Amino acid sequence: MRPAWSPPTTDRGDGRDGACAGAAAAAAPPIAAGAPAAVGAPAAVAAGPAVAVRAAPRPQLPPLLLFCAALALLAAVEAVLLLTQPGAPWQLALFPLASACWCAAGGVATVRRPRNRLGALMLAGALAWLAAGLANAPLPALAAIGLVVALAPLALAGHLLHAFPSGRLRGGASRAIVVGLYATALLLHAPSYLLRADGAGAPLQLADRPELVDLALALQDALGGLLMLATAVLLALRLRAATGPQRRVLAPLALYGIAAVVLVPLLSRLQGPLFGDDPRALFTAQAVLLGLLPLAFAGAVLRGGFAPTAGVQELSARLGAGSGGGSAPLREALADALGDPSVELLLATGGDGWADLDGRAAALPDPRSGRGTVAVAVGPRRVGAIVYDAALIADAAPVREAAAIIALALDRERLTVELVAGRDRLRRSRARIAAAADAERRRIARDLHDGVQGRLVVLALRAGELAQAAAEPDAVRARAEQLRRELDDALAALRELVHGVLPAALVERGLGAAVDGLADRMPLPTIVDVGDERYPPAVESACWFVIAEALANAVKHARARTLAVRVAPTAAGVRVEVRDDGVGGAGPAGPGAGGGLRGLADRVDVLGGRLLVDSPRGAGTLIVAELPCAS
Amino acid sequence: MRVVIGEDEALLREGLALVLERAGFEVAALAADADALVAAADAHRPRLVVTDIRMPPTQSDDGLRAALAIRARLPETALLVLSQHAQRRYAVELLAERTAGVGYLLKQRVGEVDAFCADVRRVCDGGTVLDPDLVATLLGRARPDDDPLHRLTPRQREVLALMAAGRSNAAIAERLVITEKAVVKHVSRIYDQLDLLPGPDDHRRVLAVVRYLSR
Repeated sequence: MRPAWSPPTTDRGDGRDGACAGAAAAAAPPIAAGAPAAVGAPAAVAAGPAVAVRAAPRPQLPPLLLFCAALALLAAVEAVLLLTQPGAPWQLALFPLASACWCAAGGVATVRRPRNRLGALMLAGALAWLAAGLANAPLPALAAIGLVVALAPLALAGHLLHAFPSGRLRGGASRAIVVGLYATALLLHAPSYLLRADGAGAPLQLADRPELVDLALALQDALGGLLMLATAVLLALRLRAATGPQRRVLAPLALYGIAAVVLVPLLSRLQGPLFGDDPRALFTAQAVLLGLLPLAFAGAVLRGGFAPTAGVQELSARLGAGSGGGSAPLREALADALGDPSVELLLATGGDGWADLDGRAAALPDPRSGRGTVAVAVGPRRVGAIVYDAALIADAAPVREAAAIIALALDRERLTVELVAGRDRLRRSRARIAAAADAERRRIARDLHDGVQGRLVVLALRAGELAQAAAEPDAVRARAEQLRRELDDALAALRELVHGVLPAALVERGLGAAVDGLADRMPLPTIVDVGDERYPPAVESACWFVIAEALANAVKHARARTLAVRVAPTAAGVRVEVRDDGVGGAGPAGPGAGGGLRGLADRVDVLGGRLLVDSPRGAGTLIVAELPCAS
Repeated sequence: MRVVIGEDEALLREGLALVLERAGFEVAALAADADALVAAADAHRPRLVVTDIRMPPTQSDDGLRAALAIRARLPETALLVLSQHAQRRYAVELLAERTAGVGYLLKQRVGEVDAFCADVRRVCDGGTVLDPDLVATLLGRARPDDDPLHRLTPRQREVLALMAAGRSNAAIAERLVITEKAVVKHVSRIYDQLDLLPGPDDHRRVLAVVRYLSR
């Protein structure tokens, strides 16, 4: 039986040759050689910088370089140590080679993303490969180290796949699988060197319980296979759920990773048909698969997924040097700096709204969507937000740092967008005002034509009749009286018309008298609280139309019982309030009121004022217009 | 009786003068703007000033202000102001100083010459005249359901309207074809219902009623 979990370093297929010390052991029994000191000392050196990399957020290049150089040197030493043994197969060189591969990738990752743990993880992987290779060392003490960590590279490879690209494990499933991988690789592996008498693990042996060893190996085999499969499934799911830019980053490593975690156990199952009885061929395939994992990582780096973050500092320089060429450069600079091509910028708009850089309304992403958000503020004032890929950037600290740097630039973007939007709004409102004025003129012309003009024609006719009847005094009197009454009616109609265009009281006495007159004609009790203050004619007219339209709306739509109008001067101008106790729900989307309210908003807007509509459903409507009075 | 007329529109000014002269008034001066009106009143000390409200120089309520200024200087002068529209506030202001000898009519009433001349005479005699349109507006204002005005009978409302227009009890009795005693009874009911203090004379009660209706 071939175990599904066939560690690259171990051929325990049958145990006949007693090789539990890696595939090579089958051909080359460990030979005692080399100096223990030479191994021990570099190990101590290696431990130092590895700690430094994690502790310091921005390690200096030299210590890292030194560490990598030491690792390379160790790899070389190990290669010489292993290959100079008599009859050593060339495959033993795969351990130091894989280590070098991992070391190079780890170095690049650390330089690019000092805060990201992936670099440290890969450097640890390099160490693990190196240590695992020692299983074949000629010195029993070294060989024992190798035996203990023989499967660590496998667990680290799994860890790397789960932690990419943020460096942190996302979700309980990932954490459980990785813990399981370490347990399977390190704990379940222990019986094979602790409880076996016939292996190279003699220095560590406690007892000889082959049946327990078999049990542990079977368990390791099953559990390991399961965890590898779960890893493959999880990676596939992640790749599927990823958005475009995310997928670009994830794809190389995830695809390679899926292939590796499926193939590694599969190959050992298919060993017979594929490689015959040569465990070395199997090991070669598995070691190459896992050893080259960093190449896939390099692929992700080349596709821009693991861009350097040193740019956060560079960002300020870029912003300073930039000629202010629009928003795209700001976003691009930020994307480069954070190493997240999917990064988005949102602008805070009035109220609690958000807009994208083109001024279109936008919303903050749901935190569960995998998009992280960091607010951008200038002092206490919120100006925008950075939305980034939480899968790509686990630690928000650099994003916050970037937020502080881009705050002023983003505020400028916000003001620009606001300005452009204001200009567009103004253009549209001017067009609407022109159209409204035109419609008003048409209405007046039509009313004059249909009403007063027609009546006057009839009256001219009456006057003609009167002239013809001059001979009969009684008839003249009667017709003249009829003419007078009809003139009265025509005058009343004309008065109404003129009042509708602009009430005389507004011109003569201002808002107080005009609103009094308006309230007198309202079909609902209307409480008027309007002083005798005079305002510039344009302001008075605008206030008048706001009040008249708001009252008319309330009568038409609000089903109110009482109306109230209040006008009071403010420091900057005048504030108009029209309130009703009706059904509420008015607004641009309210019943029938939209067009009227829009027209009012335009009138108010033109004078630099603002119109507010507070109309909660079932709780009445309050329309407030605030207008400045430029002197 | 000497009259001074203020009206900026020449045709109407001349027409008014014609109508009043035919009715036996002596038109002492015609003024085309508010300042000229005040000057003419100062010069001629007329019994009555008839003026349009909207006049030069500002084409706002200059005529009304001129009339009030004349009244302040010559308290015995009767005032009749004319306007294209009936404005409650103007009525209240006119009545505020002194209700005797005050009138406020729509311009178009001039056409009904006899009625107009009768109104002019009433004002000259110290009476009060408010335009029926204005009174109708006052009475027709929407009021809360619990307003005491809703408790008045139709007849009482008629009486109230005539009170507001400045008619005396005798005039109201004549108009409604009832006895003066019946009018007095109605009036006291109305005072009770509306919680008004009985005025010392017909003119004061106009102001009280108008003020009440303006609430």
